[in-house]
Amino acid sequence: MSGTHSSSALPAPIARLWESLRERSRSKRALLLMAPLLVFELLLFVAPFLILLRISLTDGSQDLRYAPGTWSISGYGEVFTTDVLLNAITYSIKLGLLATAITVVIATFYAYAIWRSEGLVKSALLFSVILPLLTTLVIKTYAFMPLLSPNGTLNDVLLSLNLISEPIQFVPGTVGVVVGQVYIVLPYAVLAIYSVLATMDWGIVEAARDLGASRPRSVLEVVVPQAMPGIIVATVISFAWSVGAYAAPGLLGDGQNKARAFALVVEEQLLTNLQWEVATAYAVVMLLLMVVSIVLLTATLNYFGGEFEYA
Amino acid sequence: MSEITLSGLEKRYGDTLAVEDVSVTIDDGELLCLLGPSGSGKSTTLRMLAGLETPTDGEIHIGDEDVTDRPAYERTTATVFQDWALFPHKTVLENVAFGLKMQGTGKDERRERAKEMLERVRMGEYADDDPMNLSGGQKQRVALARALAVNPDVLLLDEPLSNLDKRLSEDMQIELREIHEELEETFVHVTHDQDEAFTLADRIGIMADGSLVQVGEPNEVYENPKNRFIEAFLGDTNFVAGEVERTTAESVHVETELGREVVLPRTGDADDADALTEGESVALSLRPEVLSIEPADAATSDGESDRTQPVRTDGDTTNAVVGTVENVLYRGSTIRYSVAVEDTSVFVERTVADSGAFDAGDEIRISWDGADVLAFRDDGSRVDL
Repeated sequence: MSGTHSSSALPAPIARLWESLRERSRSKRALLLMAPLLVFELLLFVAPFLILLRISLTDGSQDLRYAPGTWSISGYGEVFTTDVLLNAITYSIKLGLLATAITVVIATFYAYAIWRSEGLVKSALLFSVILPLLTTLVIKTYAFMPLLSPNGTLNDVLLSLNLISEPIQFVPGTVGVVVGQVYIVLPYAVLAIYSVLATMDWGIVEAARDLGASRPRSVLEVVVPQAMPGIIVATVISFAWSVGAYAAPGLLGDGQNKARAFALVVEEQLLTNLQWEVATAYAVVMLLLMVVSIVLLTATLNYFGGEFEYA
Repeated sequence: MSEITLSGLEKRYGDTLAVEDVSVTIDDGELLCLLGPSGSGKSTTLRMLAGLETPTDGEIHIGDEDVTDRPAYERTTATVFQDWALFPHKTVLENVAFGLKMQGTGKDERRERAKEMLERVRMGEYADDDPMNLSGGQKQRVALARALAVNPDVLLLDEPLSNLDKRLSEDMQIELREIHEELEETFVHVTHDQDEAFTLADRIGIMADGSLVQVGEPNEVYENPKNRFIEAFLGDTNFVAGEVERTTAESVHVETELGREVVLPRTGDADDADALTEGESVALSLRPEVLSIEPADAATSDGESDRTQPVRTDGDTTNAVVGTVENVLYRGSTIRYSVAVEDTSVFVERTVADSGAFDAGDEIRISWDGADVLAFRDDGSRVDL
């Protein structure tokens, strides 16, 4: 179904995007309609990125935040010669995968619950997913401090139930970072999956059960493949956001050398070390890695999404 | 053995009683149509049979087994849904093979059997198509093949033809009938379309307000309806209000709003307890097919002076009234005349092929045999004459 001719060498989603863009660009009218968006993207996304790219290529040997007009790859030199990059990548990707996996699983069940519920319960479930979106990121992330810290609520409860003998340090630490990050992205993931489920006909699940599919089987055979577009969107949002996360690792992480998220490394170079060419070089490398991993991720999910189609 | 027994089946949604005390035995290999207007509980009854709804009371037996609390996926029923409910992300063949896949049939075998089923419903060439690209009639066939592929003991059809146009629906009725005869499986078919029910059914179960009012062979429920609801629901009829004037051993005389007395012969086997009392109000059903019409002057020309009171010999139960044609409705093969008689109006029908069409304003004489008239009490129950 994918990769008909010349585009077959590309990963399926890219090939599809390319095909649809080519098809669309055939019509001048469509191009005209897209113009405002293109201008918007150029001004607010492409142009700043080019500036960023330019700064990453300046000479950092002068005692300046960055030296306009100079050319050098010293920024990238520092990125690739120290183990900071590798540590940060490892930590961020791990955080991204872990947070994404947890988020998507919870979000799928949660979205299914919203879809299947009715009346007040449905409103309550939807409301409680939207409510966190109305709160500032920093506040809701910071709220995990009193909850998860060694003398916080969770430890108090665990201690009083005699489940643990000594307080566990969730925060600051990686457990706290993951929990905080999941909490940040979960609403978006839930809404992405729910929006797809909402358009689905419950009748096909009944048909599956009628034909002998058990409850879990009918969900796996009928609901998941149908919800796949939403699950893919949820995964990409969760992953991109978690890998590039700044608030959760910054507020809830312990900041140890090997447990430092990428965004924190960039921040340090940018605001503490005042080495903009290094900071921007990190950002550029990170961006490329992100693009590659999201393409891989989407392709993988599409592949598994397609698996369900075989009878 | 797949005889189905429903006993005292009830489904309640909060305060709403959707299905009330439905009891019926469906014979092995029988095609039973549940017929009723929307909201009569027929689909809910079917869904309980399928296991998609849990009854709040009563029992369902399929064969010797009590399946009341058994989920849909553990029942030997298969359903064809009203909106077909085909799986959109699977091909036509995968849709049909789905049930076999769930049963654990091997890939090659289930594909082969799915192909066979598709051939049977003449959809073989669409095996690899996306079901969403099919027409309504084609989707219907795929849904049927999908349900038949699991070789169910009971096939449940939930208004499967109601989304098709008239012609297609009629073709499918014949095909369903053929498939039923070929498979000799038990079919339960839900519909609100009486033509469909009469074409398909071995027996018809009429539902109203959640209750199963009458079960019987098509001609039996049509000719011998249990109450006024069924008489009104099946086909068209004129209800004429009247009051019992006097009863004799042979006949019942009813003074009607037609401005004259209608004589109904008594069949004689009626229970005395069921006898009508004088002054009791009744509704008489005059079906258009029992009414014959002719120009009014044809009747008066043979010397009849009082045209609403023709000469009647003893034992003759012919009744006649004269009225004025109010309007004429062409309905394709038939013409329907609405005729004003005294304070009320009745409609009569003629096939287009009959000679002598009438126009509005014409006086016509309507006559019928009193033996063809059914009478109903105020509470809707049928009067056993």
